[in-house]
Amino acid sequence: MAVGERAVGRFRELVDDDPREFRIHGAVYTDPEVFVAEMARIFERSWVYVGHDSELPAAGDYKTVVVGTQPLILTRHEDGEIYCLYNRCRHRGAVVCRQERGHSNFFRCRYHNWVYANNGDLIGMSQSTGYPDDFDRSGYGLVRAPALAAYRGLLFVRLAEQGPSLAEHLAPARRYIDWWLGRSPVEEVELVLPPHRYEYPGNWKLQVENGYDGYHGNYVHLSWQRVLQLSRESTVEEIQRYRQSGAARGLANGHGLLERPGSLNPNASWTARMMQRYPEYAEAMRGRFSEEQLVAISARRNIFIFPNLYLFDTHIRVIMPKAADRTEVQLYVYALKGVPEVINEGRFRGHERFYGPAGFGAPDDIEVFTEVQTGVHATGHGWNLLNRGQHRERIEEGEWVGHTTDEAPQRSLYRHWRRMMAEA
Amino acid sequence: MGTAATLGAEEAERFLFAEARLLDERRFDEWEALFTDDGVYLVPIDPAKEPSRSISIIYDDRRRLGERVFRQMKTPVLDQNPPSRTIRFVSNVEVAPDAADGIATVRCHQLIAEMRPGGPGQAGLNAPRWFAARCEYRLRRTDGGLKIAAKKVVFLNSDLPHYNLSFIP
Repeated sequence: MAVGERAVGRFRELVDDDPREFRIHGAVYTDPEVFVAEMARIFERSWVYVGHDSELPAAGDYKTVVVGTQPLILTRHEDGEIYCLYNRCRHRGAVVCRQERGHSNFFRCRYHNWVYANNGDLIGMSQSTGYPDDFDRSGYGLVRAPALAAYRGLLFVRLAEQGPSLAEHLAPARRYIDWWLGRSPVEEVELVLPPHRYEYPGNWKLQVENGYDGYHGNYVHLSWQRVLQLSRESTVEEIQRYRQSGAARGLANGHGLLERPGSLNPNASWTARMMQRYPEYAEAMRGRFSEEQLVAISARRNIFIFPNLYLFDTHIRVIMPKAADRTEVQLYVYALKGVPEVINEGRFRGHERFYGPAGFGAPDDIEVFTEVQTGVHATGHGWNLLNRGQHRERIEEGEWVGHTTDEAPQRSLYRHWRRMMAEA
Repeated sequence: MGTAATLGAEEAERFLFAEARLLDERRFDEWEALFTDDGVYLVPIDPAKEPSRSISIIYDDRRRLGERVFRQMKTPVLDQNPPSRTIRFVSNVEVAPDAADGIATVRCHQLIAEMRPGGPGQAGLNAPRWFAARCEYRLRRTDGGLKIAAKKVVFLNSDLPHYNLSFIP
């Protein structure tokens, strides 16, 4: 946990927030000391996404996660509430749950048979005469994480006792989360398990930076564009023109997004196309939302919530740092509730086509992450540029708004990163 | 009539060895031609799930399979540049005649050794990887010889994270 004063001072120097030439030092990707500090100062202090309500539908359902370096269990107790417990027996420290997911009303430590209810209460101790009669079990339950909160089904934990509320953390991105949910006329999603999982020998922030990067598509995904041209869905020229439209937005608190224009023209947005094709969907959507809301909802967005969550049109993406040069990513595809099944099946197949470890797009992205991870070991010039569009971005309602190919969201990421890494 | 019953283990093995060779030699268009027009290629995450209502690593109908091969052979991919070298071991071949005429289910195990060569120090390259899998084929006898009506590859670690699987398992 403890990160030296001197190191903290050095972290500040790794982000150069120059008004003309915003730069980050390559050590943010390679330095193990930076990584250790990120776990302690970001992942074990910030609100971190840990799962979705629909993953724990019934009392007794649980899932285990790691936040920073800490093993946790999320459970749904018979009172209907979700609890987040440290996965550590109070006796001698063994985990009390080894599975990734399952269903159980209690957790038993296999070392000496202490038993806990799934809200954490200690309910059984083997050979308990070895403890005095006044041993107060209520003081030895599994410890609950300091803060667990949900926003519209998205579950977050904060491992620091003190800090902003979840509402404060999400505030700059809240309207985008609401619009993201709005493609469901009941504004709910349901995860489809199991997720796509991939890992790569590179830093976790490379995945963050790329998810809302509107600049790389014509180069990294030219292969994908050719596939779409082959199938006569679009021409490379049309795709490249489309990729000039929209905006890249850097938000406060490290959030950011890439956005394509909203439209009720079926040729210009997926939502409008589905509404045209499936009248029952159109009716449900028009019954729920105003015309103005529908335009906002129909804008396709890749929304990043600092530090580990992306909301995409097909999936919820969770970024899990493993080491400075190792990252796991999980893609939880979701069904939109209240829409014809054929719409969701089309979304699932569309997702598989591009994403996952054998998709037609994502492996090309992952390939460039490994290229950056290799390249930044060269320190002849140790800095990466994130200054694209600095001269033309504008500030609107507290957002840095750039051309769709600009690096406004990446700058927001590193401004907040520096704040958490180098300030108290 | 009765053609399925005539598919013996030896013929099935010869077919699977030839298929493995086409993939190892990156003759993807010839490999694609082994599939029937309604052929399906599936690499599930959870083989117990119905693929149409869940997410798979690969779930290709013949059209998408064609896109996969086109992408590898005709477009500027990064994920297979440099390309994977693979060596496939096929074993434990068993033939189970199906109820339907002219079609047979063939099960086998495969072990795929894979690596992508590159310069010194390149993350992700120069690292051999091993993939153990249970495979299930539905082979159909046609005028053009044996064809693959369905191929399913279930990795031992199908539900764990993978780096790049673009080499066509």
